[in-house]
Amino acid sequence: MTRNTRLTLAMILVVILVVLGLMTLNRNTAPSAVSDTGEAVDPAVLVRDDSHRLSTAADGRVTLVEFLDFECESCAAAYPAIKEILATYQDRITFVVRYFPIPSHPNAELAARAAQAAANQDRFAEMYTLLFENQDAWGHQRTAQTETFVGYARTLGLDLDRFQRDLDDPATAARVARDRADGESAGVQGTPTFFLNGRQLTQVRTQGDLVAAIDAALAG
Amino acid sequence: MTATLNRRPDTAPDTGFLARVTAWVLAIGGGVGLLAAATLTVEKINLLSDADYVPTCSINPILSCGSVMTTPQAAAFGVPNPLLGIAGFAAVTTIGVVLLAGVRLPRWFWLGLQAGATFGVLFVHWLIYQSLYVISALCPYCMVVWVVTIAIFLYTTLHNLRQIPPSSPLARLAGIAGYHSVVLVAWYAVILAAILHRFWDYWSTLL
Repeated sequence: MTRNTRLTLAMILVVILVVLGLMTLNRNTAPSAVSDTGEAVDPAVLVRDDSHRLSTAADGRVTLVEFLDFECESCAAAYPAIKEILATYQDRITFVVRYFPIPSHPNAELAARAAQAAANQDRFAEMYTLLFENQDAWGHQRTAQTETFVGYARTLGLDLDRFQRDLDDPATAARVARDRADGESAGVQGTPTFFLNGRQLTQVRTQGDLVAAIDAALAG
Repeated sequence: MTATLNRRPDTAPDTGFLARVTAWVLAIGGGVGLLAAATLTVEKINLLSDADYVPTCSINPILSCGSVMTTPQAAAFGVPNPLLGIAGFAAVTTIGVVLLAGVRLPRWFWLGLQAGATFGVLFVHWLIYQSLYVISALCPYCMVVWVVTIAIFLYTTLHNLRQIPPSSPLARLAGIAGYHSVVLVAWYAVILAAILHRFWDYWSTLL
């Protein structure tokens, strides 16, 4: 074997080992709180300090967490129900939104970043509303809907330069990816997935089911 | 006077292992690049004729031709980049096959290839930068082009470095040729590291 061959093979080996090492390291540090069949998930994974709350319970007893994808149709279908529930319960429940963009939705990740960029200017709730109420207009488009989202930022009167900068900032993408990673470790497989006080709601089909579950939690 | 001294540098025998490798890199690299460029051209035509067409290489938000192909960077010189690729890689393939046939090409010809390969490799690195940091998506066929363009440039350059007369102060550079595949792997490793670093959050969610 020539010196060149030896060095080449050594280098390939080093690259493979480094990548594998980083992956293992990453896997070990990721919080693991996989739940199956209604087992409680570590609340620290479901609700992070930087997670977005659309309402906060005064007594902190009932927390509803939704992992959602702004481009998913069932999430948009659940949106009016959530809106009504928030109006009804107000400060009796904490409602937390976590990003869980599905890779097959071309603009889901970008939409999540747009929401995060708005959140950086304290307008998460407004962007969340705009994204769901206009999903028909931007959803399932093959091209990047950056212009549309910047348009929403303009509507909200955000600092557009900052919005654009935050949209492209790798830190924003990382923030979205962290939510997704938490969802995965909590056992989320699709969207929307709800957790009520740490337990995944697997039997909820209608708004009535969701209301009944919340009422039970408030009573219990 | 020995035969060695009579030889002009541009016709120096280059029939060793590295010369064969260079010929194969040009022939196969050119061929693979040609296939990738042709596929991208077909995908571009499909996209143009049907706005809802989803390219075969749009796998997820990161690995996606569709989002890359529709950017201004995809037609950097006014014509779609893959058209440049079809012309360039066809020529490189031909040159590789000619070399495999045992034809000895004159120095000016090699320098012409060097000019083309240098343009190609600079263009490809601009595209890598755009893809990673501006577009934020990777297009698999484009990455095939990155891989072969770098190899073609490296082996063409090493060939030309080996032709530098020993009297020239630059002649020592030809020594790099002895470590050709080390240079190639190191080059790829840097780009791989940049890709992993840029999209680490995404890759890690796939685990």
